[in-house]
Amino acid sequence: MYLYDDIDRRMLADRAQEFRAQCARRLAGEINEDQFKPLRLMNGLYLQLHAYMLRIAIPYGTLSADQLRALAHVARTYDKGYGHFTTRTNLQLHWIKLRDAPDILDHLAEVGLHAIQTSGNCIRNLTADPYAGAAGDEVDDSRVWAEVIRQWSTFHPEFSYLPRKFKIAVTASPTDRAATRIYDIGLRLYRDADGELAFEVGVGGGLGRLPYIGAVIRERLPVRHLLSFLQAILRVYNLHGRRDNIHKARIKVLVASLGPDELARQVEAEWEASDKAAADLPHAELARIRAGFMPTGFEALPAVSRRFEAAKADSRALARFARHNLAPHKQPGYTIVHVSLKAIGETPGDCSADQMDLVADLADRYSHGEIRVAYEQNLILPHVKLDDVPDVHAALDAAGLATPNIALISDIIACPGLDYCALANARAIPVAQDIARRFADPDLAEKIGELKIKISGCINACGHHHVGHIGILGVDKKGEEYYQLSLGGSGEGDASIAQILGPAVPAARVAPFIDDLVGVYLAERRDGERFLDTVRRTGLAPFKAAAYADAH
Amino acid sequence: MLRVLTANRLIDGEVVFWSGQDWTESFAKALVFEDDGSAEASETAAKTEVTRLVDPYLIEVMEMGGRFAPVSFRERLRALGPTNKLDHGKQAVGGADIAILAQAQGAARSKGRVDLIRRK
Repeated sequence: MYLYDDIDRRMLADRAQEFRAQCARRLAGEINEDQFKPLRLMNGLYLQLHAYMLRIAIPYGTLSADQLRALAHVARTYDKGYGHFTTRTNLQLHWIKLRDAPDILDHLAEVGLHAIQTSGNCIRNLTADPYAGAAGDEVDDSRVWAEVIRQWSTFHPEFSYLPRKFKIAVTASPTDRAATRIYDIGLRLYRDADGELAFEVGVGGGLGRLPYIGAVIRERLPVRHLLSFLQAILRVYNLHGRRDNIHKARIKVLVASLGPDELARQVEAEWEASDKAAADLPHAELARIRAGFMPTGFEALPAVSRRFEAAKADSRALARFARHNLAPHKQPGYTIVHVSLKAIGETPGDCSADQMDLVADLADRYSHGEIRVAYEQNLILPHVKLDDVPDVHAALDAAGLATPNIALISDIIACPGLDYCALANARAIPVAQDIARRFADPDLAEKIGELKIKISGCINACGHHHVGHIGILGVDKKGEEYYQLSLGGSGEGDASIAQILGPAVPAARVAPFIDDLVGVYLAERRDGERFLDTVRRTGLAPFKAAAYADAH
Repeated sequence: MLRVLTANRLIDGEVVFWSGQDWTESFAKALVFEDDGSAEASETAAKTEVTRLVDPYLIEVMEMGGRFAPVSFRERLRALGPTNKLDHGKQAVGGADIAILAQAQGAARSKGRVDLIRRK
């Protein structure tokens, strides 16, 4: 994978040193909290309910084994021995002390990690396809382009004080595994009729208070013009995005008020008038970055592994794991292995320091030293030989990391919610735990099939509830936790915003409610239909009738 | 109205309460104000302790069998710790003071959250 160069290393060391001095000034009373808060936020340090929270960037969800070990070390030394992977593929540590933060940034900088672009009104840490470099269906490695944008956007002086935060996602596959349609800019790379790489550019997606699916403002952007075109979009947004109302400041509101056609016209005009050559990446620099992602060390193997097939025949657990936690690799004889951070009854996305060390060791031994973070809050070993899957499965299983539930009903996205977050209205984690326990039977989960439940503890929607097949939003009813359910959302290629089912229910009613919804689906579904397909075909009526039957 | 003064400690973010003499990590040791004048005077004084505290504010509490608990669930969570990891946070020490907080019912909006949203 791409390794940071001297410029990056110096930048991170300088940044850590700068933050150390800022912390010292705050503790000495030379600056007050109002002055310090934006500085600590620019280094990913939030003050939450019980302690400070450090949000560590994992650029485009790619980690080396050494970086994951460093995260384990930080979690063990400065936190309570675990971390929480988020829907932005970052890692949050929830029990950080301000006095330790400078030392933590030093540790992270030593392995090329940091907390830059994890807060503030800048271009945030990029998201890319977690299968990049391994997926059989990709036209290119999306991390190459994510890294190009990272180098361009980090500390970009023109775009450091935007009207609001700005998130970009990149995919290079027809299957969208990076939720690009709910991003401020979603870049989808494809090969055009001439075989040339081009981007489809979507703008104005986003969740939160005002959920929108992004609109395509350019169907074909030659890849050489990526940075000049991004610059044009950001310039139009920087000039016209609202700064008078935080709830209307994201680019999605600008797109909605101007209309996608008018926004596209303004972006094209800005782009035509700009000095493209000054902004676009020189070919040699692109080649240098691309070289950092060149695949190495794949062996020529048969497409079918006798060892793996025999082991599956002997073990129902391994066979089930193979059905749900593996994905096809572009290289014959290899596979992509999902490490589930959704063990039944555990906190979605949480990973202990010992588990991080184990996954790092497995990555070194079996996956070219690489780990990926998926926005669904799971980890991925991207390059595992089929021959090695039985060993990898056994090691993961022993550590509680092999729950065979990827994309099933217990693979629930949940934000930290009111258990940790100062902004939350209601808890999300216990709701996820309740539902997972109710559907703990793996045969039942398999019978139900793909069903994506996403839970947010407030309208900011870190848990992506708007794009859940079932979305659950925690609301505050005079200080009591209630949950509003919605159906029919998707954050993937067929993106849609879920529709609210009916009045919010108290916490204890949520899991039984899900039971009712699943019952309707199992009764109504036609051959091959996922839960989402059935909801789209029938509409909400049968689900509403069953779930609120008691209310009539 | 019964109230307690709370804040997060600057150096480590720990939730603290005003005991009448000093800042304590234990809700059970918090001073319960019965009159608005002294509560608000203490809040004003706390706001000058800028090198020790972040965002001091008053929370409403209720009496429960001779002890007290915050009325707001959010504030009970701050006084206890997260519900998904009962060995983390203040609740880890256990005992009667913690048990009372864990059993308390009651609901109200937290001024801490309202202030945070307003400032955002």
